[in-house]
Amino acid sequence: MARSNLGKLREGWRIQMRVIHALMIRELNTRFGRENIGFLWIMVEPLLFAGLVSFIWRFMKGPEEHGVGIIAFVVSGYIPLTLFRHCVGRSVSVFVANSSMMYHRQVKVTDFVFVRFLIEMLGAMMAYVFIAVVLIAFGEFPVPANMGMFISGWLLYSLFTLSLCFVIAPLSEMSEVLEKFIPVTTYIMIPFSGTFSAASWLTPTVREYLLLSPFVNAMELMRGGIWGGKVTPYYDVWNPLVCSMVAGLIGLALCRHVRRTLVVE
Amino acid sequence: MIACHNLSKSYAHGQSRKDVFKGVDFTMQRGDRVALLGRNGAGKSTLIKLIGGVEMPTSGRIERRMSVSWPLGFSGGFQGSLTGYDNARFIARIYDRDYREMKDFVEDFTELGRQLKMPVKTYSSGMRARLAFSLSLAIEFDCYLIDEIILVGDQNFQRKCHFELFEKRADRSMILASHSNEMVREYCNRAVVIHGGRATTYEDVGLAIDTYSAL
Repeated sequence: MARSNLGKLREGWRIQMRVIHALMIRELNTRFGRENIGFLWIMVEPLLFAGLVSFIWRFMKGPEEHGVGIIAFVVSGYIPLTLFRHCVGRSVSVFVANSSMMYHRQVKVTDFVFVRFLIEMLGAMMAYVFIAVVLIAFGEFPVPANMGMFISGWLLYSLFTLSLCFVIAPLSEMSEVLEKFIPVTTYIMIPFSGTFSAASWLTPTVREYLLLSPFVNAMELMRGGIWGGKVTPYYDVWNPLVCSMVAGLIGLALCRHVRRTLVVE
Repeated sequence: MIACHNLSKSYAHGQSRKDVFKGVDFTMQRGDRVALLGRNGAGKSTLIKLIGGVEMPTSGRIERRMSVSWPLGFSGGFQGSLTGYDNARFIARIYDRDYREMKDFVEDFTELGRQLKMPVKTYSSGMRARLAFSLSLAIEFDCYLIDEIILVGDQNFQRKCHFELFEKRADRSMILASHSNEMVREYCNRAVVIHGGRATTYEDVGLAIDTYSAL
């Protein structure tokens, strides 16, 4: 019995991988086509954002702030932020956009959310590597002091973003009002995402409140990994982990609920 | 075998609510060819979508003991912005079939030629029908769910369907929603008439057609 259950699990996993693979290719094809640079477009937008914003900051505020290079600091904040904002934007109405795929029973609604997240995450990572390599060559970005810490921070940031997507996708299906609030909410979120400030720059009271945000904890971890001893990171890895778990469970329950009443043309 | 137990479906939009059908019980065995009869809006497509797992029943449950195709109809199953080939590749991937074999079969069955390189949204409904049938025949299901769409095909397509579906795969099951009494009489051995939110099963197809025609 145990053996057959394991076999079923393995079969399920195989189907899951096939579906994710097929949906990824389909999504890349529909979004970017095969013309010119094709799927490489996924890294262009985060690149432009991080690049241009950091240059504007460089000219407005000078080369350094609190002892770290301003270009590197803005880039390290902006790439994760674009990941979050794009993922949230892409999660809205994702079920309707993909409804024709629901004709195939092995495709589940959660696959759509996951695939869109994965594409954004890969795009952001490629953009990050690209811009970091260029900036390191020009001496504007430090070689990460602690790669493990940096990657852990990135993964935690992504994990929490994914769990939010699982909540937003079904909610956008349940209420059209929500859709209108999303752009302003992601904008208001910016100060609570740790993008433009490090926790050590703040007063202890403000820091305490900001560290309630999972994004700030993950961002501190990433920056601690990049600059090592030059900055003092404040973080608690349990905060993003627990928050992702809670949001993820709520999200999956909502997805299940919405799937039951979803109307497919 | 496919069994529907006490199936109900209703759609809610804002405050208003529409019950499509209530308490549908229906069982079909391997090899059964069931006709779904009913006037426009009676719920034939909805029942097919529930059996195909595209939408979920409001209450009740569906048991599937054989592989069931996706509903072959005018919409769904395809991504309009992708080409016929891309859609075939997608379907080959998710159903774990060899793409080259599938491609050969699709080219041969659809006779669409260079059109397969065009986005599916530029296809006529007859062309879509050809593509949908060729893909589902390439995968080989035990039971095919067919929502009206055979009728839009031309003579050549109907001949091909007849050969592939009713001669070569005569052992397969089928649920066919159709307004063509002729087709129902020719291919089906049982019928379900949906009317007023109720579904009645008839073992005698002729009687079912008479009942349906009198509605």
